[in-house]
Amino acid sequence: MPGITPPDSAPRLSRRSALAHAATLAAARVLAPATFAGCSLGLPPRAEKVFVGLLHSQTGTTGVGGRSLRDIELHAFEAINLAGGILGRQVEVRAPNPGSRFERRLRLARQLIDQGAVAIFGCWTSASRKSVLPIMEEAKRLLLYAVQYEGNESSPCCVYGGMVPNQQILPALDWLESPAGGSRRRILLVGSDYVYPRTAHYVARKYLAGRDLQVVGEFYRPLGDRDFSLVARMLKELEADCVLNTVNGDSNAGLFQALAEAGIDPEKTPVMSTSVAEEELRSLPPAQLQGHYGVSCYFQSLATPANRDWVAGFQREFGHDRVTDDPMEPAWCLVHLWKQAVEKAGSFETAAVRQAFRDGLEFAGPAGPVRLDPKTQHTTKFCRIGRIRPDRQFDMVWESPEPIQPDPYPEFAFPGWKCDWTAGGITRGAEVSIDGDL
Amino acid sequence: MDTPPLSAAPQDWYWLYDIPTARLAILFVAAFVGFYWAGCIFLRPLLRQFVKHTSGANDIVGYVLSCFGVFYGLLLGLIAVTAYQNVADAGANVTREAAALSALYEDVSNYPAPHGQNLRWLLRDYTRYVIRYAWPLQQRGIVPEEGTIRVEAVQEELLSFQPATPAQEILHAEALRQFNHFLEARRMRLFSVTSGLPAVMWYVMILGAVLNLAICWLFDMRFITQLVLGGILAAYLGTMMFLIFDMNQPFRGQVSISAAPFEAIYDRMNED
Repeated sequence: MPGITPPDSAPRLSRRSALAHAATLAAARVLAPATFAGCSLGLPPRAEKVFVGLLHSQTGTTGVGGRSLRDIELHAFEAINLAGGILGRQVEVRAPNPGSRFERRLRLARQLIDQGAVAIFGCWTSASRKSVLPIMEEAKRLLLYAVQYEGNESSPCCVYGGMVPNQQILPALDWLESPAGGSRRRILLVGSDYVYPRTAHYVARKYLAGRDLQVVGEFYRPLGDRDFSLVARMLKELEADCVLNTVNGDSNAGLFQALAEAGIDPEKTPVMSTSVAEEELRSLPPAQLQGHYGVSCYFQSLATPANRDWVAGFQREFGHDRVTDDPMEPAWCLVHLWKQAVEKAGSFETAAVRQAFRDGLEFAGPAGPVRLDPKTQHTTKFCRIGRIRPDRQFDMVWESPEPIQPDPYPEFAFPGWKCDWTAGGITRGAEVSIDGDL
Repeated sequence: MDTPPLSAAPQDWYWLYDIPTARLAILFVAAFVGFYWAGCIFLRPLLRQFVKHTSGANDIVGYVLSCFGVFYGLLLGLIAVTAYQNVADAGANVTREAAALSALYEDVSNYPAPHGQNLRWLLRDYTRYVIRYAWPLQQRGIVPEEGTIRVEAVQEELLSFQPATPAQEILHAEALRQFNHFLEARRMRLFSVTSGLPAVMWYVMILGAVLNLAICWLFDMRFITQLVLGGILAAYLGTMMFLIFDMNQPFRGQVSISAAPFEAIYDRMNED
């Protein structure tokens, strides 16, 4: 019957025709990439990444401050990544924990560099910064350091975002000596026993030489120690009428407890603290601190729209009860200044980034404009003095009229020393002994 | 505690999990059917030589295939159940960890200042890290290591608290108990990031699949029928393999355990 093929005569697929079909398939496979260009397995696109390290102690005696810095830097990089990254690359952040331990910090700094970190944001104490800097200089990578420090240092591989004594301690001493600060005449210097307090006190002694405000004594306790019972006795015996406090970390709890137990009145003998910020105040009983002072470049209570937005943004991400403080603001600014420098350089290479510093980068931070001084690789800073309130915030009582230029080597303290990374680097002056004139 | 390496290297074939599930299933089926068809064209003529002159060869081959199918089916079934159990256990561990974290958060909220606030911040920070950083790493087959740092910080703060009243002693003991539950569940979650079927089981499964298809090549039938019938078997074998592969890594791939329990408690933490 027409139209119906008997089963026996059904066309069979011979091996030869199968091979021909296979050859056709193979040809199709070869041509497929061109034919189906644009089709894929659906794998997500792999974004190019660049990796930076955060080297903050998240446990141990400086863990509280370290965690705050880690969080604000994470917040900054998350915002940068959301906006497209830097030079089209997403920033991958790794934040190992030195745990306030010397050997571990060095090992982790080397590990971060070996893993390819283009820069490291980190360190809290000057001792930690000084221990890490040789590693950074050897590897020719940048360390971006956000905490206030004692000056007397400048490394080509470090950007210093915190205040130096001429931006923080010296204006505070001037204020204490002035009528607004109570015309104080006798000051006791109290600090933790390491490089920052020792050098800061040396600068203060030199600055006050021949002035109305006289240094009547100095007192040190090891970092982390809380026994400050002697300070209260010294205050009375030496008849001091104010204190410059450079104690760091959780030792401040011991200091203020000792002062409160001895009945030291903040009105008569105020303590001017350089390292007590909102974060530290959380752990201290407000009754013991109320009325004392803090000096820094930033207070959370700053009533500017930029600061309100910044605080709100941070709290939205990390919790509505989180606080912001002095080292966090410079840390935020440092991340953005580094980003600017990288973008200006068009490269993550340290040499190119440092070259970009020469243009004098500027960033509008929450506490006002911040400018990176290309000569010293430090930043300009407003100096602000605040009185501690019962709600663990500061009432600002004084503010410098304009940002203060950084001077890591004040001439009166380090005669002959100068720093200019745009022309020749460091000019060495006379050797000075920090403890020599005690 | 010493800091472990920042990340563990993922397995070489983990990129397969980045393929969307539906496409991966099609890929598995296509690979198995393609292999079977290629064998039909290139290997079948050679293999057929063994049974060409045997009378009732198809019956013998059919019998062998049935026997083999029983053993292989059992193996695949048991492995599929194991893989499913692995996923279920990992999901239960995630829920347990989140529940212990939530209970711990509630306990420490009653601690006096500043310990209570410090611990709440630290636990919130841990939860945020798990959602934002740990989960994407787990989905890439990398064990997230920086969570350990956050746990150390919680432990440090928890142990620094000295109860001053009997009520605080009871509260502290309960918080420590919850913390230990949390640690156990967390460790189990991290173990399951890289746990999976041993390589030898994969070798046995793949060998079984190849033999299964090879036996089909021995049948004497029309070529097109061979392609269709064997292709159906190959397609189902591919589907089974895909199922086991997809369930083998509970945190990998489009269909995997999500961070939803952590997201729920993080929202709750931020409401406080």
